[in-house]
Amino acid sequence: MTFEPIWGAIIAWYLFLAGLGGGAFVTSAFLGWKHPEAVKMRKIGHMIAPAVVIVGLVLLMFDAEGGLHNPLRFALLLTNFGSVMTWGVVFLAGFTVVALAVVLLDFLKRPVPVWLDIVGVVFALCVAMYTGALLGVCKTFPLWNNALLPILFLVSAMSAGMASVLLVSIVRHADEFNRVGVLKKFHFCLPIIELVLVASLLFVTSSNSVAGWNSVVSLVAGEFAPWFWVGLVLVGLVLPTVLETWLLFFSPREFEESRKAHWISFGSDVGVLVGGFLLRYLVVVAALPVTMVVPML
Amino acid sequence: MARYGMLINTKKCIGCYACRVACQRQNDLLPNEDFIRYEEKETGTYPTVRVETVPLQCMHCEDAPCAAVCPTGAAYLGPDGIVQVDHGRCIGCKYCMAACPYQVRVFNEETGTVDKCRFCTVSAETSGTRMCSCVEACLTGARLFGDLDDPESDIAQEIAAANAQPIAGDLTKAKIFYVR
Repeated sequence: MTFEPIWGAIIAWYLFLAGLGGGAFVTSAFLGWKHPEAVKMRKIGHMIAPAVVIVGLVLLMFDAEGGLHNPLRFALLLTNFGSVMTWGVVFLAGFTVVALAVVLLDFLKRPVPVWLDIVGVVFALCVAMYTGALLGVCKTFPLWNNALLPILFLVSAMSAGMASVLLVSIVRHADEFNRVGVLKKFHFCLPIIELVLVASLLFVTSSNSVAGWNSVVSLVAGEFAPWFWVGLVLVGLVLPTVLETWLLFFSPREFEESRKAHWISFGSDVGVLVGGFLLRYLVVVAALPVTMVVPML
Repeated sequence: MARYGMLINTKKCIGCYACRVACQRQNDLLPNEDFIRYEEKETGTYPTVRVETVPLQCMHCEDAPCAAVCPTGAAYLGPDGIVQVDHGRCIGCKYCMAACPYQVRVFNEETGTVDKCRFCTVSAETSGTRMCSCVEACLTGARLFGDLDDPESDIAQEIAAANAQPIAGDLTKAKIFYVR
C-alpha cells in the first residue's frame, strides 16, 4: 500500500514556529550581551518570540482533533513523563511564560534581569531541540530516528530566529541594523553549518535501511526534489550564504550600509525563513516507515 | 495470568477480507476505519509465483512504542498485556501513529481520536460474550489465538511446530506470530 504521511503542513508550521520563537528569544539575549545599544532590535526579538510560539500552539491544538472537541483532555498532556511530547509541553509552557513576562517588562520600560534572560534562553534552546527529539524517538522513520535531527533543528531554529529579528529591523530600525556586526557574522555561519548537517543526515539515513534510502531518494531525486533543491538548498541555504558572504566580506563598507544592501539582506533573511519552514516540512512528509517498504514481507 | 497472542497462517489466507469485515461490524467502526491492513507480496519466479496476502494489525507489543510516546496515557498496556486505548484521554495528536513501526493505528475522523485492534477475541473468550471476531470469521482457519505461555494451548503448539515468527523479527516484542 502507499504511505500517507501521518503529520502534514500544520505540524511542519508548528515545528518551524516553535523553533523560530526560541531562536528570536536567544537572538534578543545575544543582542543584550554583545550589542547592548541595539535596544529596539532586542525588543523586536522579545515580541516575535511569544507571538510565533503562541500561533504554533494554536495550530497544534487545531491539529489534535480529539483534544479540540474536548479541551479538558489537554490537561492530561502532563501525565506521561516518558514521552517527549510531555516534555515539550513543559518547555513550551515555561518558555511562553518567560517570553510574555519579558514583553511585559519591555512594555513597562523596565530592564529585563539577566537571570530571566538566562532562564528564557535555556527554555528556548529546549524548545528548539525538543522539536527534533519529538520526531527523533520514532523508530518507525529512519529519516527521523537519529541524533542529528535535534541538532539540525536547533541550528535551523537559531538561524530562523536571527533572520526574523534582522528582517524586521531592516524595515523598522535600519540604524541599529548597521551596528550589529557580531550578530550578523553568527547569523552568516548558521546556514553553512545547516548545510553540513543536512548533507550528513541524508548520507547517514540513506545507508541505514531500505526505508531510509527511499526517504532520501524521494528528497533528492523523487517527488520532493524540486522543493528540496530549489526551496531548501538553493533559496534557504546557498543563497543566504552567498549574499551574506558578499555583503559581509567583499562589499565596500559604504555599500554595506546603503539601503540597497539592506534589501539584499532582507532577501537573504526571507530565504532563511523559507528554508527553515521547508526543512521541517520536507523532514515531516518525506519520512517513510521501516515496515511499509516491506523488507519484512 | 495468560499472555494472549495470535497466530496468522498466510499459507492458509486466501485474501477474502472477511476478517476485516467482521472486525468492522463487531467493533462498530467507520467505513474507512480498518484495524486490519493487508500487504501483498509476490514470491517465486515465473511460472511458479504466488501472491501472499499478509494481514497486519496491532501486534500488542510487550514494549509498545505507542504507549511509550503517548503524552496523555491514552495508549497503554493493560494488565493482561493487551495494548489498549482509553478514548476519553486521547487528544488525537497522532504521536502513537508515528511511533508504531507497523503503521496499524488508525484515526477515527468522527471522534478525532486514534484507535486500533482491541483484541476483542480475548474479551469474548474471557467474558463469554458471543461475537464474530476475525478469528471466528476466517473461512480457512488461518487465525488462531490463545495463551502463548501455556505449552498445551493450540497456539503455543502450532507456533512451535510451524516455527512461526513475529512479522518483523525483534523490531518490537510482538505477540502476533506469522506462518509464511
